[in-house]
Amino acid sequence: MKSVIAATSLLLLAISSSLQAADLKAAEALAGEQCAACHGPTGVSQNPEWPIIAGQHADYLARTLRQYRSGEREDPLMQGIAAGLSDEDIRNLSAWYARQDGLKTKQY
Amino acid sequence: MKCMRATGLLTAALCLLLSSAVTAGDPEAGKIKASTCMGCHGIEGLTNAYPTFRVPRLGGQHAEYLVDAMQAYKEGRREHPAMRANMANLSEQDMRDIAAWFAAESRD
Repeated sequence: MKSVIAATSLLLLAISSSLQAADLKAAEALAGEQCAACHGPTGVSQNPEWPIIAGQHADYLARTLRQYRSGEREDPLMQGIAAGLSDEDIRNLSAWYARQDGLKTKQY
Repeated sequence: MKCMRATGLLTAALCLLLSSAVTAGDPEAGKIKASTCMGCHGIEGLTNAYPTFRVPRLGGQHAEYLVDAMQAYKEGRREHPAMRANMANLSEQDMRDIAAWFAAESRD
């Protein structure tokens, strides 16, 4: 019985942490410090060499940032910035950029 | 002599015209060439399998960035088996046309 309760509470804890709402306020501040200089204030970059990230899927953005952080994807600028991001930073930034007006799914 | 100079100028003008014709992307040609791309990138919310993440939105992205990304996949600087395979037979012009199609404002 005790172990069932322990298992259940662990499971609930795991679910609640994975569902934890992104901190959009923190993301906006961090985006302003770390990302805006190249990607623009809301993720719509003006320089065509740098991607527009506003409106991109949050899970794709998070994966990309993790890839830069681990070095799996290479770019001197992005690797340097991603190195300083925590998992929480990545989750927050990705959720915030996904909510900005920008990219759309192109359709015929 | 005058005639030669005029011929030289004409040739230079023609070369300039030709080179710009090769480098500019044509979104109408790109629409046709992008039919394979649209199988994944044209379906809102479609997920990539293993690892699982949503296929990135490309509508409205900078054409220059898209060409760079396509070349990176072709050359193996970015890794994704399906993307690498699909880029293998694309020419520079194909990439520019496809990029122009995705960059043109989405109807979505």
